[in-house]
Amino acid sequence: MTEHTVTAFDEDLKAVDRLIHEMSDLAAAMVGSATRALLDLDNPLAQRVVSQDTAMDAMQRDLDERAITLIARRQPVAADLRSVVGAIRMAADLERIGDLAKNIAKRVGAVGEAIPPRRFAHGIDAMTDLVLSQVKGVVRQYEERDAEGLSRLRADDEKIDIQYTAVFRELLTYMMEDPRNITACTHLLFCAKNLERIGDHVTNIAENAYYIVTGRQLSPDRPKQDETAILLAE
Amino acid sequence: MTQMLSPTSIAASRPVTEEAKLEVRGLNFFYDRTRALKDISLSLPAKSVTAFIGPSGCGKSTLLRVFNRIYELYPKQRAEGEVLLDGRNILDKGQDLNLLRAQVGMVFQKPTPFPMTIYENIAFGIRLYEKLPRSEVDGRVEEALKRAALWTEVKDKLNASGLSLSGGQQQRLCIARTVAVKPEVILLDEPASALDPLSTAKIEELIDELQTDYTIVIVTHNMQQAARVSARTAFMYLGELIEFGDTEEIFTSPHDKRTQDYITGRFG
Amino acid sequence: MAAASSRHNRRKARNTLMMGLSIAAAAIGLAWLALILGALVWKGAAGLSIAVFTEMTPPPGDAGGLLNAIAGSVVMTVIAIAVGTPVGILAGTYMAEYGRFSKLTIVVRFINDILLSAPSIVIGLFIYEIMVRPMGHFSALAGAFALAILVMPVVVRTTEDMLNLVPNALREAGAAIGAPRWIVIRSVAYRAALSGIVTGVLLAIARISGETAPLLFTALNNQFWSSNVNAPMASLPVTIFQFALSPYDEWQQLAWTGALIITFAVLMLSIVARALTARREDR
Repeated sequence: MTEHTVTAFDEDLKAVDRLIHEMSDLAAAMVGSATRALLDLDNPLAQRVVSQDTAMDAMQRDLDERAITLIARRQPVAADLRSVVGAIRMAADLERIGDLAKNIAKRVGAVGEAIPPRRFAHGIDAMTDLVLSQVKGVVRQYEERDAEGLSRLRADDEKIDIQYTAVFRELLTYMMEDPRNITACTHLLFCAKNLERIGDHVTNIAENAYYIVTGRQLSPDRPKQDETAILLAE
Repeated sequence: MTQMLSPTSIAASRPVTEEAKLEVRGLNFFYDRTRALKDISLSLPAKSVTAFIGPSGCGKSTLLRVFNRIYELYPKQRAEGEVLLDGRNILDKGQDLNLLRAQVGMVFQKPTPFPMTIYENIAFGIRLYEKLPRSEVDGRVEEALKRAALWTEVKDKLNASGLSLSGGQQQRLCIARTVAVKPEVILLDEPASALDPLSTAKIEELIDELQTDYTIVIVTHNMQQAARVSARTAFMYLGELIEFGDTEEIFTSPHDKRTQDYITGRFG
Repeated sequence: MAAASSRHNRRKARNTLMMGLSIAAAAIGLAWLALILGALVWKGAAGLSIAVFTEMTPPPGDAGGLLNAIAGSVVMTVIAIAVGTPVGILAGTYMAEYGRFSKLTIVVRFINDILLSAPSIVIGLFIYEIMVRPMGHFSALAGAFALAILVMPVVVRTTEDMLNLVPNALREAGAAIGAPRWIVIRSVAYRAALSGIVTGVLLAIARISGETAPLLFTALNNQFWSSNVNAPMASLPVTIFQFALSPYDEWQQLAWTGALIITFAVLMLSIVARALTARREDR
């Protein structure tokens, strides 16, 4: 986009965008580390994720302040306004992703000396890869102003939901096989649920980013594929 | 030129009636040989506020000045096309200019009180077209001053000179004077650009109140002001109407890149 | 540093020199004015008495006053203003309001400027030709008309200038509430320009009250009291002219006193005009 006549305005906007970029990098790193720590019962790695979450919270506060100051001082309109308000909302979603990653990491202590979860990790691994590519992709496409890509990315959340259903069924099977697996598998189940919710936050970010880029909202009806609720009811 | 409503736009805080008060069709305007307005067409809904924005020299004031044909005070200025006020073309040769201007009032950038008392400033316009007994004129003056939110400030000094008032009060006096003639349309040419923020706020509050009874068109350099007071906004550039639509749409998701660049401060 | 300071000194020296020259020039101009006023007061005040304002101009060698001359001047000035002002104001109004953009205005302004600087004796001769000769005798009326012709360009000029100073925004504002052109001019433009126009008229009075040349061929002079405008009439400037040229002491004294009275009257008018303009600027 063309430069503002007032260059400081551009700098302020760029600073906000830079923070979003950093937060998304951090969020992706946290999600990757958290599942790995859980699967390998790697306590130091889990501790690192917990401390990264503090940094994440600080970044979100920093971004909020910058964005509010920018609104107060520059009165942005149109695309500028959308990008500032959108940044505030994206930061909130990224921060929640950080919280969910921390929550996964914290389970490492709770699993204790039960059977190492790595054995049951087949589906979780695939799900983590999916989620990670979504988390990394969403901010990249936002930065590239790729409205089409964002719309596709949002639709791709469906894959995570399908994978979640698969993981759910898989873990259920392990638990029925041998009751000693129940502890580890329950934690993995929570882990999978968290990953699924991270996917939802990515969806929010994608919707926000789409609005920032185009000025239009994505249509609200997105295919929902989480069948676990139905499964449980049966 | 876009004149569309996005499907996602939330219902306007001020509902826009669809009945057109002023309709411009294929309007061209010339200063001698220079074409200052290029084929403008738009329709202004009744009893709502429409704002014209755009960089200096874009033709927004020129367009405003066509609506009461005030440009006729000067030679070598002419308008071609149609401007329909309630369906009647005011650019017709037979149009009585004074009557038109009584119907379409105008308030200017700098406050222009007449060199008379506050009372006379308002009574002057009333007496032009109506022969009323003194007591009735008194009532009309009071009504107009109240309408312009000036009454409490001046009721004890109606015989003081209009020039003794502060800038903001003078501008409200001018609005009162315009309202006193009972126009249907009020044209505001940057009415607050010479005023401090508090006086500006009072004028904006006034505009908000007046729109229940009048069709208001405001030209402003202050985009925030356009965003605050208007239901619809027209962006003009180099004599052309670039974009015209709901104000909230223009200020959140304009369709034209030039509009976007202008309102976000990215213009050359 | 050194270069800068020497340049600074040069500038200072040049400034002092120019300032000195300007002050000297102003002083020379003012000195003459002071001398003239001084001589006038010195010589004129000596002859000031009630008689000056109550008695007629005397025959040579007698004592008397200037009553008939003062009265004549007042009568002719009043008629000249009464005739010249309306014409001047209307012409000025045309130029500033209706004809602002017309070629006629440019022509009228040019001619008016010529008239403004025309030698007043030429005006006198002109009236002599068109009034005095056909009528067969000198008259106060002819004198008044000659003065009226001098009044007109002054009033035209000031009216046009003052109306041009009225902001266009005010005219637009008048038109914008539906007021016809003539009402805008009468109720808005004139009101805004009033003090300026009055000042113009006062300046015109000041100008004609000292005029001698146009009266010599028109009103001539009259030794006695006359209220007949169709007959020759005395006036201060012509009386001064005549008395100052005479060899009689009494007449010469009256000439000085008359000159003092005119000067004083013109000074008063100028002060009033200034005061009016100043009040306008205050607003």
